[in-house]
Amino acid sequence: MPYNKITRRKFLKSSAIASSLFLAFAGAGIPVLFSDEPKEQLSNFSANNYIYTSCGICVNKCGVKAHVEGGHIIRLEPNPHFPKSRGMVCARGNAGARLPYSADRLKFPLIRVGERGENKWRKASWEEALQMVGENLNKVVEKYENRSAVMFVSTEGFQEEFFKTFAEAFGSYNLLRHPTLCLSSNIQGFSAVFGNYPDADVKNAKYIIFTGSNRLEALITPDSIDLMKTGPKKLVVIDPRFTKTAAKANEWLPIKVGTDLAFALAMIHVLINENLYNKQFVEENTFGFEELKIHIQKYTPEWAEIETEISADKIRQITREFAENAPKSVYYPGRRSSFSKNDAELRRAMAMVNALVGAYNVEGGLVQTQKIKLNKIEFEPVWYDNNADDRLEAGKVKFLAESSGAWIPFRNAVLEEKPYPVKAMMVYKQNPVESVPNRKKTIQMMKSMDFVCVIDIEMSDTAYYADVILPESTYLERWDPAHSLSGIEPLVTFRQPVIQPLHDTKSCFEIMQGLTKTCNLETNPFDYTIQEYIQKQVEDYEGAYESLLNKGVYIPKNIPSPYGNRGFKTQTKKIEFYSDKYKRKGLNPMPVYETVTEIPEGKFKFTVGRHAFFTHSSTQNMDYLNTIMKENVLWLNTEKAKNLGIKNNDLVKVKSSVGEGILKAFVTQGIRTDTVFFVHGFGSKSKGLTKTHGIGASEAEILEDHWEPISGNALMHETLVEVTKVRS
Amino acid sequence: MNGKKRYAMVIDTHKCFDCKACTIACKMENGVADSDQEYRNWVDTGEIIGVFPNVSQKFTPGQCNHCTNAPCVKVCPTTATYRDENGFVRVDYEKCIVCKYCMIACPYDARFVSSTTHTVDKCTFCAHRVGRGELPACVETCPSKTRTFGDLNDPKSEVSKLLRENEYKVLKPETGAEPNIFYI
Repeated sequence: MPYNKITRRKFLKSSAIASSLFLAFAGAGIPVLFSDEPKEQLSNFSANNYIYTSCGICVNKCGVKAHVEGGHIIRLEPNPHFPKSRGMVCARGNAGARLPYSADRLKFPLIRVGERGENKWRKASWEEALQMVGENLNKVVEKYENRSAVMFVSTEGFQEEFFKTFAEAFGSYNLLRHPTLCLSSNIQGFSAVFGNYPDADVKNAKYIIFTGSNRLEALITPDSIDLMKTGPKKLVVIDPRFTKTAAKANEWLPIKVGTDLAFALAMIHVLINENLYNKQFVEENTFGFEELKIHIQKYTPEWAEIETEISADKIRQITREFAENAPKSVYYPGRRSSFSKNDAELRRAMAMVNALVGAYNVEGGLVQTQKIKLNKIEFEPVWYDNNADDRLEAGKVKFLAESSGAWIPFRNAVLEEKPYPVKAMMVYKQNPVESVPNRKKTIQMMKSMDFVCVIDIEMSDTAYYADVILPESTYLERWDPAHSLSGIEPLVTFRQPVIQPLHDTKSCFEIMQGLTKTCNLETNPFDYTIQEYIQKQVEDYEGAYESLLNKGVYIPKNIPSPYGNRGFKTQTKKIEFYSDKYKRKGLNPMPVYETVTEIPEGKFKFTVGRHAFFTHSSTQNMDYLNTIMKENVLWLNTEKAKNLGIKNNDLVKVKSSVGEGILKAFVTQGIRTDTVFFVHGFGSKSKGLTKTHGIGASEAEILEDHWEPISGNALMHETLVEVTKVRS
Repeated sequence: MNGKKRYAMVIDTHKCFDCKACTIACKMENGVADSDQEYRNWVDTGEIIGVFPNVSQKFTPGQCNHCTNAPCVKVCPTTATYRDENGFVRVDYEKCIVCKYCMIACPYDARFVSSTTHTVDKCTFCAHRVGRGELPACVETCPSKTRTFGDLNDPKSEVSKLLRENEYKVLKPETGAEPNIFYI
């Protein structure tokens, strides 16, 4: 399992000596394709061969300098001017250098000729494809007398802003983005307490607790790098599975799935009852401490021990150490937080733990992020009368992010056609077929559409069910707008092409320009070039555009210190232990624990997670990365495996109430007996993903579609599965 | 110092978290094929050992050790494998006849037959980069800077400093190969 070094010599010893004589002759005379002599490579290499841009493989947008020779990318090297990525490029970022050359790329527009999902296509010109999209979107608007009958689906990326602008110009309320598959509950919970969603000052923290956050496999810059480079004195990892982060931790606490809130509440209990909290900080900056003190009394460490299966003594020990190291202590907010039904409440409680010890806006604690403000080229949206009153899933989520929506309640509403039919789907870069729980329902939703158009660089599982596929140029073949990366150390980056497009592809920007025409929009929000747009974005900063072109990054001088109290954007202007806002919405003003569902004998909790080789479901099919991990495997505890008669590498079936998958077993001591896990992004439906189609199991196929009503986040750790042996 | 150089690498395994950035960066930099049989460096993902919940796991980066007393050099019948004046153990592709003796002699399993050059291949310490004053690709790209590269003949170099200040070991010292990769 997870790619061990393959012993080449072991193989060689048994076979090579006998054949070495033959090979000696076979090998001689074959032309040498390249030499590694320093002088030869120096002769055609100069600093001018470097083009500064930023990586596009994941959310971090690390600075890279592309080494290009003869119009061919040799390598993407770390950009030393780019502090956020700390002078590194990860495995994915490195493999990105070969992404434009992938055989599986979409090379020209495609129009479906068979049934949806039948994989029958014909090549089309851009003119025809854009015309067809325009006509079909307009047809749906006319038929249903509703501009919001067209849904727009997208995920983060520098060009997403053009897609969002197009959706706004088109006049649909229904832009559906990725946050409710990711960190909605996190943002909601922390913001409810602090009035913002802070970063952790990992570089300076002395004590860090990760709960469910797997920073050494789900890489986030600069946190993951700082964790290993400078590192805290002590790292505690709370996770049902022994992740690579756990392997590097001082303590691994294999918590019962979904009970993290009990751990956090018990920490609050200990901090208050043992007088370990920062009295001055609490008095000056917080609201509702007396209420919290009464509320927390029932959440004793002994109670939490029963819920979490982490001993009361251990909870006390961790809490005391946390307080001792405060304020350089961090209960790390994490990023993806779509775990259990308690998730929004968990994030509130975690924020409160940090607040109680005064670890806020101080060195080594949680720190309010800063962002460099960029200009926009504004446009005047047109008011359309033929429109719905609101988003499709309006009123279903207590705190719905209007600009992003909530995936699962939205999809359910499409299937029910209530309160109104949504019958066309425009997708940019997102892959809901593999990223939204319950794949069958997502495919059913797509099949219920009058029209589906997908923009992507390869035939994702979502593109597979489209009517028209528009191929995008990769991030290395196009200009991208400037982008402000917020953080403790904010900066501005952008993209410039390092090579010309290899195929008949366009950027999302160019596609939106085309669709503005073919959809006959009454407004044109894209009456400029991207270079003009970038110049407008940074025009307030002298030398910023040149800095982007020549260094790939712009950082203004005189950025204020990230530390020090900058006020709280909550209702009371304080850190809120007690939330009147929650109370008015009919929620608990202080976090209340809901007991998790028991795991019946013979079943397991199915858990999901990231891997340092892959970004969501988008890079499993990439050359070089797929070679490191060719399939996913089911992590299964050794003791349980024995009971089930399952050995390492046996083929097993994982079955939930909504779907099943077959993959190899990885029998290990590194996971709880009641929990199983596999990496996502395999078991693809799309035959265009030649390396992952039918290989391993799909996570979306197995996950039940639970969601929580506070933030609308999907819940990925609420699915029970059975595991049975298929064959040895 | 103008004298001879002795290039070496110090690997701090405590910092390695098995992200494999080094392996992919090396493949890009040196045109190593996209194959799980062909790689100039690697991270060995140790087994998860122990009994739940008292378990542990180690990650160990590896590559050609550029040995001072290199067994591969000794067995090469055509002098294709040689140790140059800066201490890099090199393969002259023109002279290699793919007899694979060096692959068997190497204590570290660092050599392979390249489908690109159709010769035996292995890590060069990125001699072409070092020649223009840059670090090897694996060192440069490493997120946690697990790998440190430099000249052991220069007492002021980072590698010299690390070896002075830390306990270290080499792999398979019993072979007498005198490797130049040090683990701290």
